[in-house]
Amino acid sequence: MSLEYSITYNAENEYENPVENASWQFLIVPENNDTQELLHVDIKNSLGAKNEFSENGYGFRTVRINTWEKFQKLNIRATFKLKKKSFNPFGQVPIFDIVSNYELVQSLDFKVDFEPFLGQTKFTTLPQGSINLFVFDTALSIFDNLLTLNTWIYQFIKFNTGVTHVNTLLEEVLENPEGVCQDFAHLFCALARANKIPTRYVCGYLHQGNGYFGDSQMHAWVETYVPQVGWVGFDPTNNLLVDDNHIKVAHGKDFNDCSPLKGVVYSYGANKTSHNVEIQAQQ
Amino acid sequence: MNSDVKTIFSSYHNNAQLFDEVFDSNGVAKNVYQKLLDLYGNHSIQEYVQLNNKAKASFFNQGITFQVYDNKVTQEKIFPFDLFPRIIDEDEWEIIEKGAIQRSKALNLFLWDIYHDKKIIKDGIVPLDLISSSANYLHQMIGVDPPGGIYNHISGTDIIKHSDGHYYVLEDNIRCPSGVSYVICNRTALKRALFGVFNHYKTHSVTNYAENLLEILESVKPKGVDVPNCVVLTPGMYNSAFYEHSYLAKAMGVELVEGRDLFVENDFVYMKTIRGPIKVDVIYRRVDDLYMDPLEFKPESALGVPGLFAAYRKGNVCLANAPGTGVADDKAIYTYMPQIIKYYLDETPILNNVHTYHCSRPDELKYVLEHIHELVIKPVDEAGGYGISIGNRLTKDEIKVVQEEIKQNPRKYIAQPIMSLSVHPTYIDESESFEQRHVDLRTFTLLGHEKEFVLKGGLSRVALKRGNLIVNSSQGGGSKDTWVLKK
Repeated sequence: MSLEYSITYNAENEYENPVENASWQFLIVPENNDTQELLHVDIKNSLGAKNEFSENGYGFRTVRINTWEKFQKLNIRATFKLKKKSFNPFGQVPIFDIVSNYELVQSLDFKVDFEPFLGQTKFTTLPQGSINLFVFDTALSIFDNLLTLNTWIYQFIKFNTGVTHVNTLLEEVLENPEGVCQDFAHLFCALARANKIPTRYVCGYLHQGNGYFGDSQMHAWVETYVPQVGWVGFDPTNNLLVDDNHIKVAHGKDFNDCSPLKGVVYSYGANKTSHNVEIQAQQ
Repeated sequence: MNSDVKTIFSSYHNNAQLFDEVFDSNGVAKNVYQKLLDLYGNHSIQEYVQLNNKAKASFFNQGITFQVYDNKVTQEKIFPFDLFPRIIDEDEWEIIEKGAIQRSKALNLFLWDIYHDKKIIKDGIVPLDLISSSANYLHQMIGVDPPGGIYNHISGTDIIKHSDGHYYVLEDNIRCPSGVSYVICNRTALKRALFGVFNHYKTHSVTNYAENLLEILESVKPKGVDVPNCVVLTPGMYNSAFYEHSYLAKAMGVELVEGRDLFVENDFVYMKTIRGPIKVDVIYRRVDDLYMDPLEFKPESALGVPGLFAAYRKGNVCLANAPGTGVADDKAIYTYMPQIIKYYLDETPILNNVHTYHCSRPDELKYVLEHIHELVIKPVDEAGGYGISIGNRLTKDEIKVVQEEIKQNPRKYIAQPIMSLSVHPTYIDESESFEQRHVDLRTFTLLGHEKEFVLKGGLSRVALKRGNLIVNSSQGGGSKDTWVLKK
C-alpha cells in the first residue's frame, strides 16, 4: 500500500530597500529513496527568474534562483507530488548480536567509514560536563538504547516555539530545555555520537495526520546507523520512529548542512522572511 | 687594492659557529661564489648601496608590495631585497627538485585517498584524529574526483640547509602558496642593476614559471573542453598578495577576476564581459576554501561565487588548488610525510623531515613541556609564521605562558628541535655592511595531468633581524635572487 502526498512550500521575502542582485539556494525538494518517489515538481517565483536545479555539497537536490533586476519582494511557491511506501518501522528489527554490534562500532574501519557523522560540529557540541548525560547500557542492544534516548529527549526538552532560534547551541538548550525540532535533533545527534553511533541530521516534511492540514514549518529529525539494519530514522520531537508520515529532503552533520534557504543578497536595510508548508495526503 | 676604499666584504664578520653558504670557516669563498666575489669585490660599499636603493625604489614604483596584518594597523611594504644572490649548484638542485616532486606526488595520492577509500587511515599509518579534527578536511569533497586527478596543482615547499650540510623540509604549503612573483621580480631587478654578472654564470631562467603554470592549468581542464578558458580568481586589491595575482594573470595572458565578475548558471561558470558572458573552465583561485562559495560555505563571504562548488562537484570547472587540499598542509600531517611517501610511492624520502613532537601524544607532550627552551613550538594550522615560539628566546615567564597554552590545546601544537639554518651574506641597512643572516628556500612545484614542473630557482627568504630564525615576509623577512646553475 502506498500514500500519495502533495506538498506546498511557500516563502515570502520582503526587503526594505531594492535588491540589486541576489542568489538563493533552496533545499526543499524531497529526495528519491527506497521509501519515497518524487512524481512531480513545480516551482514558481514571483520575479519570473529561472529556477535552476543543482546539488549541494552532499549531493542533495537544490533549487537556485539568481536575479538580475531590482526588486523588493520575492515569493516562491513550490509544489511536489510524492508517492510514499507505507511501512512499519518495527517490522524490520532483527535479533541483535549485542556484543559484536558494540565491537563493530569501536572498530577503526567503522569509525573511518562513518567519520562525518561521528564528530562534533558547532551545533552538536555538548558543553563540558554533559558528555555523559546519556550513557548507553551495553547490556541492551544499540537499537533499544536509541529508543530510550529518543524518549528521554522527548521528555527532557519541552516543545516551545520562540525560545530558541536557528543559531541556538546545545549549551543554551541544556540550561533551559525548551525548543523546537532542530534542538531535539541536535541533542539526539550529540548524545548518540557521544556513544559512538553514527547519526545524521535530517530535514524534511512531516504530515501531521490524515484529514489534518494547516500551516506548518519544515521538520527535523535524525537517522542513526544501527548495525545489522542500516540507517534508522528517529523523531525525538514526537517520540516516534520515522514512518510514512516523514518525507525526507536531505541530511547532513547538523542544521548548517540542511538549511532550507541560503542566500546572498546585495542590498541593505531590514528584511522579512516567512515560509509555510502545507501537506495533503491521498490514500 | 686601495685600502681607503671599503669594499663590500671588507668588514664581513664570519661567525664560525654558523653554516655560511658563501665562505668556509677560514673565510675563503666556496667554489661557485668565487667568480661572483671577484665581480662584486671591485665595487665599494657606497656603489653597492646606490644600486641597491635604486632597485628598491623600482619595487615601490611598480607597486610590488605586500601588506602586513597586525592587530591595529595594516602596512604596505616592499619585500626587502638585496643584490647579492644565492647560488645553488646543479648537483644540489637535482636533489631538491626530485625531493619536491616526490613530496607533491605523495601528497596528491594522500589527498585522493583521504577523500575516497581512506586506506592509509584504515591501515593505521595516519591516525583518524588528524583528519576528523582538522578544520581543513572538507566533507563535501568526499567521493569527488578532481579533474585530472590532481589536488595540489601548486605546492610551495619550504626547505632549509642545516649546519650539517643537508637540506630539510620545514613545511609543505599547498593551500595558496605565494611568493613566486617575488622570485621573478628579484631576478628582473638584479638583471637591471647588474646585468654583467649574468654573463659569467649559466643560470636557469625563472620567467618560464607562468607558461608552465598555464600548461598545468590547461592539463586539468574539465572533460569535453577543447581549449580551456583559464582565469585567476583574487580576493581583491586589499589582499596581501594582490600584486602576485595580477602579475600571474598578466604573465599567463588570462583574465584576473574577483568573485563578483563570475556567476554560475546551470552549474557552469561564466565571466561577465562587455561582450556578454564567457564560460570559464579552469580557475586558479587565490581565495580560501571557505570563502569561495557563500551558498556552500561561509554565507557571509563577499569574495566568492554563489554556486561555484556545485559547478566544481559536477566536473564543469576545475579549481586549483582543489578545495579541501589544506588538510594535508596541516603541520601535524607534515610529521607523517616519510610514512606517506613510503606508503604511496614505496620510496624513501629524498628530502629530510625535521623531527617533530606531537603535543597530542601524551609522552611527547611531556617531553615538549620539559624541553621548551630547546624547541620551536608551532601551531599546526597557522600560516605566515604567526604564533611561533622559539624556546631559547623566551624568558622564564614566557615559557610558562607557552606551557599553559599547549596544555590547554595540545592538538594545536607541534614542536621541533631548533634547527640551525644556514646563513648568507646579506646587506643590512643599519650597519651599511654585509652580515650573516639565516636563510631558507621556498620552492614552487607544479603538478598537472601527466606533467610536473619545479621552478629552477625559488624564493630565498632572509631573516633580517640578527639571529632571527623566522623568515616569513609577514614577520619582517627579506629575500634574495636565487640562481640555479645549469650543468
